[in-house]
Amino acid sequence: MNIFRIALKEIRVIRDPKMLLFLLVSPLLIMLILGTATTNAFNGSLTVGEINVLYKNTSTSSELSKYWDDFTGQMRQAGIHLEGAIDNTDGKLKVKNNLYTGYVEITDSGLMYYANSQSLIESDIAQSVFTAFTDRYRLAAEVSETDSKQADAIMAGYGGAGYVVEESLNAARKPGAMDYFAIAMTTMFILYSAMTAADLIDGERKRKTAVRLLAAPVTKMEIFIGKIAGLVMVNAILIFVVVLTSKYMFNAYWGENLGLVFLVLITEILFAVSLGLGFSYVLKGNAAGTVVMIIIQLAAFLGGSYYPVEDATGILATIASLSPLQWSNAALLEMIYADSFTAAANAMLLNIGFSVVLLGIAITMMRRREGL
Amino acid sequence: MNVLEVKQLTKKFGDFIAVDNITMSVKEGEIFGFLGANGAGKSTAINMIASLLRVTKGEIEVLGKNIAKHGKFAKMNIGIVPQEMAIYEDMTTYENVYFFAGLYGLRGAELKERVIEALAFVGLGDKHKSYPKNFSGGMKRRLNIACAIAHRPKLLIMDEPTVGIDPQSRNYILGSVKKLNEMGCTIIYTSHYMEEVEEICTRIAIIDHGKIIAEGTKGQLKAIITNQKNIGIEVRSAENLDRSKLAGIAGVNQVKVEDRIIKITSDSEINNLNRIIQQLMADDIEIRSVEEHEPSLETVFLTLTGRSLRD
Repeated sequence: MNIFRIALKEIRVIRDPKMLLFLLVSPLLIMLILGTATTNAFNGSLTVGEINVLYKNTSTSSELSKYWDDFTGQMRQAGIHLEGAIDNTDGKLKVKNNLYTGYVEITDSGLMYYANSQSLIESDIAQSVFTAFTDRYRLAAEVSETDSKQADAIMAGYGGAGYVVEESLNAARKPGAMDYFAIAMTTMFILYSAMTAADLIDGERKRKTAVRLLAAPVTKMEIFIGKIAGLVMVNAILIFVVVLTSKYMFNAYWGENLGLVFLVLITEILFAVSLGLGFSYVLKGNAAGTVVMIIIQLAAFLGGSYYPVEDATGILATIASLSPLQWSNAALLEMIYADSFTAAANAMLLNIGFSVVLLGIAITMMRRREGL
Repeated sequence: MNVLEVKQLTKKFGDFIAVDNITMSVKEGEIFGFLGANGAGKSTAINMIASLLRVTKGEIEVLGKNIAKHGKFAKMNIGIVPQEMAIYEDMTTYENVYFFAGLYGLRGAELKERVIEALAFVGLGDKHKSYPKNFSGGMKRRLNIACAIAHRPKLLIMDEPTVGIDPQSRNYILGSVKKLNEMGCTIIYTSHYMEEVEEICTRIAIIDHGKIIAEGTKGQLKAIITNQKNIGIEVRSAENLDRSKLAGIAGVNQVKVEDRIIKITSDSEINNLNRIIQQLMADDIEIRSVEEHEPSLETVFLTLTGRSLRD
């Protein structure tokens, strides 16, 4: 019962307008600003420019030349313009000067393609169709030895798939700016509760109310559990409001399984509270608050709170993977957009595991101490 | 019946002995004064009694039960008024008392009744919805007391409950202490104001360097230094006073000047009043009145510890 009383007292913090402003309005305001300001950066569609490829055919094979001419006609219809170069033209230089998407040299030994590094996407598309052409030509050459009609059919595309096939590399839905920052800001502000947690017990000592709590017929563990439970509840209530507000007011997408989303977020709250408490016992005075603040800032920066870090590589990727926000953000994104419950389970296990370790440290140190 | 019994209580912080083997008892219905200068070990002893500090050695019994075995029972029967304000400034006066009293197992209508009763007792009956952050020092002190008495403890420990407040609030608090005592509450009272202790305490213990050096009623303590007397001489002006000559008179131990009062502590067996007056007249000091007092508790404390209570 006393645990409940102590927890209930912690929930009263919601009445504090400053605290409410920070915990409720700040994340919503920032997700609104970032979600609106960075909409274009998160736009999933891409405009592909014109694809003009210069070619020079010096092959002596009449068959290849015939197929190549047919191929240029088909490509024109597909929006890829293949332009023959006159004899003394330096095709590579023209590409270098960004006049063409690429340059193709057709010789008896094969087909050589020089890509323009300034228009990578267009070049890649052109390269893909040339690769498909050469593959098909090789097949047709083999088939033509027994059945020339079938070889023509292959090159014309009747017997196989077209040169350009539309494929989706990504899932049907990708997070927009508002979707992304709704998750990132929610998890970041959860981590800020570590600051409150760092002052959770220390605040009682500073206010001298620890004396009265300890003088009452309440054990240290009851005080400890009550205060943690209260803080977790406060944050859970606030985060519930933040998530629902972002969902219904800002149309942020939180997926089909909101219950599991909340479960991941609650384990992150537990982790944040444990982080603050753990450091408040390990470090004395105001040092705990300062260290926790630095950890939060680094975790936010590396964990994708201000920009997505999913494409990070090298050392940045390694460091980013250490950020507790990265676990939660990645897990939530995978869960919401790829229905990956494994990612959510892993993030929850990490959050709970670290919480157990940090709370264990705090409890051990509290038991050794005189007072709280 | 003893409400509190302390036997050979010791507290060490590393090599430092804060409380050194003290034994004392507080009887039911007493207001027990616990005196000691800063760092004497008084707060450490009180904190052990209130279960705020672990005991290094010794035993503490509250209402006949050892607190090591019956900690919860002891806590249920003790109320503590800490020296510093132990209240939540972001909670109303009512919520503060309600929260702390609730930790003592009080529930529902009984809890509400006790909260209202405690607030009325300290004169904050009309401030239920007020926040202590807007209170004066005296009002905060009274709320501090209300939080400690709502569960009706048998033993109330008050650590410097009148520090830093106006005389009106101090009088109110002293009146409340007496009233609580009349209602059956046994009180341990510490203060730096000797006159308060002298006014309200029925028995007093003096602690110095972690040890209880004297214990008894006011009369018993004063009897310890029957060989001393206090002489107070009111003069028109003490400007011409030559203290060294006055201190050189046989039997004079100490000379203090406060405004226009010359306070002299002297051996009671030596009749030196005439000699003192002659010296003052020789210094051309006009005497208005002369009083000879019994030693005060302050004198007792000073004599026993060698330092003032406020040192």
